Amino acid sequence: MPKIEIDNKPVEVPAGTNLIEAARLLNIEIPHYCYHPGLAVVGSCRMCQVECEHNGRKSIVVGCNTMAADGMKITTSSVAIRDIQRGVLEFYLQHHPLDCPICDDAGECDLQNYYMRYGLHESRVDLDEKRHKHKVHDVGPTVVLDSERCVLCSRCVRFCREIAGVDELGIFGQGGNAELMNVPGKRLENPYAGNVVDLCPVGALTDKDFRFKRRVWYLKRTPSICTGCSRGCNIYVDWETERSYKNPQRRIQRLKPRYNRAVNEWWICDRGRYGYRTTDGADRLTAPHTKLESNGGPLAVSSVIERAAGKIKATLDKHGAKAIAVLASAHSSNEDLFLLKRLFVDYLKVQCVDVNLGKEQKGEEDGILMKSDLSPNRRGALEMGVQPWGGSGLPGDEIVAGALDGDFEVLIVINHDLTANLAPKQLGKLEQHCGYVLYLGTHVSAMNELAHDVIPIAVWAEREASYTNFQGRVQRTWRPFDPLGLAVSEWEVWRDLAARLGLELKCDSPPEVFDSIGESIASFKGLTWEGLGAGGKMLTGVSESPYRKVQSPRPLAAY
Amino acid sequence: MTGNGNIRLLSRNFGKSGQAGIETAEQRGAYAMLKKAVRMKPEEVTALVKESGLRGHGGAGFSAGMKWGFIPKDTFPRYVCVNADESEPGTCKDRLILEYDPHLLLEGALICAWAVQAERIYIYIRGEYFYPTRIMHKAIEDARAKGFIGDNILGSGWSCTVHLGTGAGQYICGEETGLIESLEGKKGWPRLKPPFYPAAVGVWGKPTIVNNVETLAFVPRILEIGADKFAALGTPKNGGTALLSLSGNVKRPGVYELPMGVPLKTLIYDCGGGITADRKLKAVIPGGSSSHILTAEECENLRLDFESVAAAGSMLGSAAVMVIDETVSIPRLMVWMTRFYAHESCGQCTPCREGTGWLLRLATRIADGKGRRRDIDDLYEVANNIDGKTICALGAAVAWPTKSYIKKFRHEFEALVKE
Repeated sequence: MPKIEIDNKPVEVPAGTNLIEAARLLNIEIPHYCYHPGLAVVGSCRMCQVECEHNGRKSIVVGCNTMAADGMKITTSSVAIRDIQRGVLEFYLQHHPLDCPICDDAGECDLQNYYMRYGLHESRVDLDEKRHKHKVHDVGPTVVLDSERCVLCSRCVRFCREIAGVDELGIFGQGGNAELMNVPGKRLENPYAGNVVDLCPVGALTDKDFRFKRRVWYLKRTPSICTGCSRGCNIYVDWETERSYKNPQRRIQRLKPRYNRAVNEWWICDRGRYGYRTTDGADRLTAPHTKLESNGGPLAVSSVIERAAGKIKATLDKHGAKAIAVLASAHSSNEDLFLLKRLFVDYLKVQCVDVNLGKEQKGEEDGILMKSDLSPNRRGALEMGVQPWGGSGLPGDEIVAGALDGDFEVLIVINHDLTANLAPKQLGKLEQHCGYVLYLGTHVSAMNELAHDVIPIAVWAEREASYTNFQGRVQRTWRPFDPLGLAVSEWEVWRDLAARLGLELKCDSPPEVFDSIGESIASFKGLTWEGLGAGGKMLTGVSESPYRKVQSPRPLAAY
Repeated sequence: MTGNGNIRLLSRNFGKSGQAGIETAEQRGAYAMLKKAVRMKPEEVTALVKESGLRGHGGAGFSAGMKWGFIPKDTFPRYVCVNADESEPGTCKDRLILEYDPHLLLEGALICAWAVQAERIYIYIRGEYFYPTRIMHKAIEDARAKGFIGDNILGSGWSCTVHLGTGAGQYICGEETGLIESLEGKKGWPRLKPPFYPAAVGVWGKPTIVNNVETLAFVPRILEIGADKFAALGTPKNGGTALLSLSGNVKRPGVYELPMGVPLKTLIYDCGGGITADRKLKAVIPGGSSSHILTAEECENLRLDFESVAAAGSMLGSAAVMVIDETVSIPRLMVWMTRFYAHESCGQCTPCREGTGWLLRLATRIADGKGRRRDIDDLYEVANNIDGKTICALGAAVAWPTKSYIKKFRHEFEALVKE
């Protein structure tokens, strides 16, 4: 482990650490544009130059391509270095449009930030000398390029080649005419295209979905995880609830990847990135409804729960637990599934509980991030025992078949649209044969017509919850905003239902439920809500398996 | 285009037609030194080249033998890469070797490949050299047919192939790592260093010796006359002769072969016939357009070897001597020079990409008489901001001359600017 000194502060870093990363450990920022820890090192921006004294030699080196070596003394902010940084910024700003007030990246642009920190020079260039390049170039379905603002850091080019494995962008032309463009005949349409916008240090690549919709300083940022598939990529939810101008009914403004080495490194797929739109979709279920009463007044969730408790009680008394079936969901959180299992399986002895339905939609899978299982918590359901081979009885398809045969008096369905899987004739049979169908869902579906009672439940962004991804990593979400309308969290429904059945589930918040999971489920032993932290924790006894080897910064040929 | 005196190691055939064919070449003794080399141990050949004091004639002037010695001991395969991307303004010597003595180059490259035990030679010729490319193609075919290239060369048990690659005509493809990138089919952008130098990580990531055409062409001659005799031709630190490209305001511009350390005046007045129209000498650019300019006074007793030119404040580089007489406007010269570099900057790193164009704009403004006094200082400062801050040496190649033009001829710039 080389020991070095940066700005007179000693630090010991792992071998192979470059100076930018070493300085980061000391909270010293070495400014840079082209360097990104997840991509090959090209050293082209020349912004990260520092003074390096080593073995009696003093030299100016680039921080990205200089590995820490024992005894190095680094100076990051001497007069000479400040001059270099100012000089590089002056080169960049020579032809860069001076349009921070209208640039969509204002507020998170490194050119703007570094100019304020290291530049602050007076322009020596006449405005009429500025070179002009392509202004609004449509590089792909989701991204727009403004070549004039591009600093040619080549991060996007490297990302496409090294991470997405495609040749869609390139830098063409020599010298001052060099310009970022689509590779001829190609569009930026790989499933990870949105990442180039995150990587772009300036406002050259912007996201069509977010462009000109909000100023970043109005956004609030909450860490979370993507629930789009069973990987559970770490993300930030950038949201805004106070201004509706131009964006009515859109609380989430954008999703951004959050670094987690073991899960998604720095990236997310576009399927997850743009999957947030359903959160505030017009088809959200926001109020309970029923087919069993028609007094015309507003219906409360509590009264639906009350009626469900009554139906369950009557069924238990008359037919026993075998007449009750629950089709749970792998979209539910660990807490939801834990309480569901405790209430129905442990207390009420219902054997027909499962999360799997044969004809469930499968997504595209690649060797990078995307998984074919589009539910975020199938592994969690397995760990909780909410599946037939966990000892709870029938598989999901047989529960449905049983319901059609009239085996159940009470059928509880959570976020499954049975109507998508059944023929109209079968649906009639279900209605006829099943005494009481309770549906808990996030969005309007044909289940609303089929079920006797419907309870709206909160989506991932409206609740604190934990999910277990396919690797066995337990991760949590934070709650940016409240559920829409009268929607409630699923676990609250089970808690209230239990209370009305005279049972107590002893839990008043997701952390409390999670801590009980830690006490009662072997694979969660030792895990606590607090202990999950930002990056989550592996299940007990499950070994860590990063999705791919993290690239070490290495000098590579330029592009 | 001719040599001078009796020393003609490389220029024996320059200007003579019909000498490039393999039969003629063999009659003159081509490939005899290859036969000699493969009977020696590879390390003996390297040692011989080191002793000869042969230095790279591509620009940097690094000891050729020492470079060959940098090949990692246990890494195979290894390659030799011939840098025939001659594109520095003023430099035009490699072309003559390619055109008039292709087998001399091939023999030198093969001896080098034997010395470093390389299995493949890449010859990278600049795209604009159509004619030399055709000649080299033919030479390679002929040498292959004669068994000098291919399997079990001259019964040595060693096999080596030769591949010809042409560039698309970019200045920076003459820089060794830019050349390798281009050879590998990528855009000709120089590679970042340290830590990788081609001797350790070169073409396709394998150890590669990149040598200039002239450097390799000297190798058979070193074996022919012996390292001592070769070394004795030049100065103690600069073995042999050099092909000097003489251009500018001289009566007889051309390529002249002279011993290293020859006085500049010999080249200009004896070989070049003196200054055009017998005008007064104003300055000399001694090592291609990227070197510092030297005033007539500084050139008075200048000798042309790497150390002497460096001591005078410039560099010998590719030994392309450009003569400037009293009628030439230095600010106008700067416009031509910066226009070239602004056009040829590869666009990879910021100071060079953005700075070269800025230099051109400032220089043009001054030369056109539209400049402001501040522009001269700006010009100097912008050059300073480029110098030493770039990935490859192209930044310095424009910054050095710019700074030296201003330092030494500031009065000419001042005379052109408005207050």
